[in-house]
Amino acid sequence: MQRHRQVAAAPHRKASETWEAIEKLVTSTLERSPRITGKDVAAALKAASPVGIMLVAGGHLDKHPVVVVADPVYLTISTVSGDAALSLDEDLGPVPGGTTVTEWTVYLPTPDPVGDAVRSAITGAAHLSADEPPGESTTKAARLSEGSVLDLDALANRARESK
Amino acid sequence: MSPTSTSTSTYTRTKTAVYLTDVVMGTIADILAELKIDITSLYRDWKQDESAIAAWIEEESLLQVVLECHQPNGTTAPIIEFPVAYRSSGEGDATFTADRASLARYRAKLVRVPAGTTYGIICTFKVTPTPQPGWGPGHRASTEGLKSLTFGTLASAPHAALALRYLR
Repeated sequence: MQRHRQVAAAPHRKASETWEAIEKLVTSTLERSPRITGKDVAAALKAASPVGIMLVAGGHLDKHPVVVVADPVYLTISTVSGDAALSLDEDLGPVPGGTTVTEWTVYLPTPDPVGDAVRSAITGAAHLSADEPPGESTTKAARLSEGSVLDLDALANRARESK
Repeated sequence: MSPTSTSTSTYTRTKTAVYLTDVVMGTIADILAELKIDITSLYRDWKQDESAIAAWIEEESLLQVVLECHQPNGTTAPIIEFPVAYRSSGEGDATFTADRASLARYRAKLVRVPAGTTYGIICTFKVTPTPQPGWGPGHRASTEGLKSLTFGTLASAPHAALALRYLR
């Protein structure tokens, strides 16, 4: 399920505090899954913190969101800076769907001119990627396809039982 | 002045400081990245520098933030200055704005620097600032012989505005 969250940046928060708000949002969403520990999520996002803060301060996240792909959660997070940040109605609570997540990746944007710095900073880091995130429609299509197969199997079983 | 109005003014001054600090730090990161200068130490010290600059803008001691690029041959260029202009009282209709689109176009025109160029961030003051962790006395490189180009106002907030000057 696709969700979008906006986080108020400066002048509401410093860049470092804004990134911390993003860390908490992602952690609180994913740690609802019994297969994921909040500690692991927080550690991964802490590793991305230096470039995350830089992306916030440069206003890059206003236009290029962080994307969390954690089926069934597809969460895009952007920031709002300037006057609009002061009147933003934020929803930073856990995003629905986190309880069934098993795999997750946080995709960081790589806008010019800081793209290389982002790639370099997170190279080899678990659960972080500087690649283009998969489209939400792609993951949804995959789930629907899987669901269809399961339904057909159930129908076949039911047909056999009725004979 | 009533206690209520004092409180409101302080609140907005803090917001001005947070906003202009974000813009200056983000711009420094973008410029260094554009020039392909290693920014590892920038983001390592980010919180410390962010706190210091915000505190100095809030107390109105900061005159300008200066980014100096130190080339391997000993030349210091370019130098980018971010002067802060304070308003005597918060302007009621002033808003928090930054001209990031113009900055992106301007940034692309910066003259490249050789590999191995490092950088330094220096703050100058109009009055004695409150000491901040990680910051100590220093001196600026000479700007003699450098040509100055003015970008103009980079960001504006109710209690202050931030400009950019490029010396090369």
